[in-house]
Amino acid sequence: MSVSADQLPKQTPSEAKRRKPGLVGWVVNRLGMDDIMEDQFNRVVPFHATNYIYCFGGIALVLFLILAATGIMLAVYYQPTPDTAYESVVNISTNVQFGWWIRSIHRWSAGAMVVLVFLHMLRVFFTGAYKKPRELNWLTGVALLLITVGFGFTGYLLPWDQKAYWATKVGTDIAGSVPLIGHFLLVSLRGGQQISAATLGRFYDLHVLVLPAIILILLLGHFFMIRRHGISGRL
Amino acid sequence: MACGDGWNEAVLTRSGFLKWLIGIVGAVSLAGIIYPVLRFLKPPAALSGALGQVADVGPLSSFPAGQLTAVAVNDQPAAVQNLDGKYTVYSLICTHLGCVLAVEGDAFKCPCHGSVFSPTGEATKGPAKLPLPPYHSQTQNGSLLVGPIDLSGADYPGWYKGEFS
Repeated sequence: MSVSADQLPKQTPSEAKRRKPGLVGWVVNRLGMDDIMEDQFNRVVPFHATNYIYCFGGIALVLFLILAATGIMLAVYYQPTPDTAYESVVNISTNVQFGWWIRSIHRWSAGAMVVLVFLHMLRVFFTGAYKKPRELNWLTGVALLLITVGFGFTGYLLPWDQKAYWATKVGTDIAGSVPLIGHFLLVSLRGGQQISAATLGRFYDLHVLVLPAIILILLLGHFFMIRRHGISGRL
Repeated sequence: MACGDGWNEAVLTRSGFLKWLIGIVGAVSLAGIIYPVLRFLKPPAALSGALGQVADVGPLSSFPAGQLTAVAVNDQPAAVQNLDGKYTVYSLICTHLGCVLAVEGDAFKCPCHGSVFSPTGEATKGPAKLPLPPYHSQTQNGSLLVGPIDLSGADYPGWYKGEFS
């Protein structure tokens, strides 16, 4: 016995409308996330937030993505040992094609990201966006600022030139001046009493493995809470 | 026929034109990023060219008489042989399938397929048949300078020559 067409389950008009053509549609149809995606992409930005000072956080994110991409590329040629670190950096800047370009983008973006994260903090502070219920997002933001500075501090040592060496000497000395745990912090950061190959290895580990893992988790929390709370009201 | 008549039938609409424009600008921008990235990943020519340069492998005192001493010549494995003040530098790349040979006593042994080479570089045992090629080398101011590889001793296959280019 054959089944006639009108015996098959009917598609409601809205279901039929939602089926999207094309390659993107193929994926979207299989995930069944149309409602969620539409909700995410069709947010109306309130008029008071269409101001450049509200862009600082987003620009900081773009800079982070640029830093991640260029950092992955620099790690191809960088060698974190005292004998080869400086030579490998010189090699990137002089021999590797477009190496100077990638390294300059990484360096300038790093400086710019610290500035932009700080400006973003000022915007949130002076528009009062940290107030209830957004205190937790302010706290993750403070952690993100500290991690951004941590990226800058650990990355500064990696070229292993005089400036890097002495900046790290001073920076870890400051960590050593913390009451009670200062000495522990100092030897943990340096991997010994003095700045050595162990220090370079530890800073490289922090710069390319530890801090990226922490910042990704915090960024996800930061953005989730932005979506959860919505953009704060106007002054 | 008036000049504007053809525009009544819009072959390319305004939004269609803008879509093309955005697509082209986007593609050019993307190519401008992808091209440098691919060039970046290609190892610089200056480094691969280093294989042909003269390398100083150290003072003569670091190569005791009657012994084989493993050294690196432009990052390639090699061994210095000191026969009563006559220094010869052999490549440690096996002529069978390119494994790195181990220096054991006064012989070179291949960990992969058991080939053995005599102190003069001749293949004495195992699948390898061709002798180990020596490097051009000379002593200068108490140091041993190593130049390019000498592949004239046997008819080495192309992949083997490629190890040194």
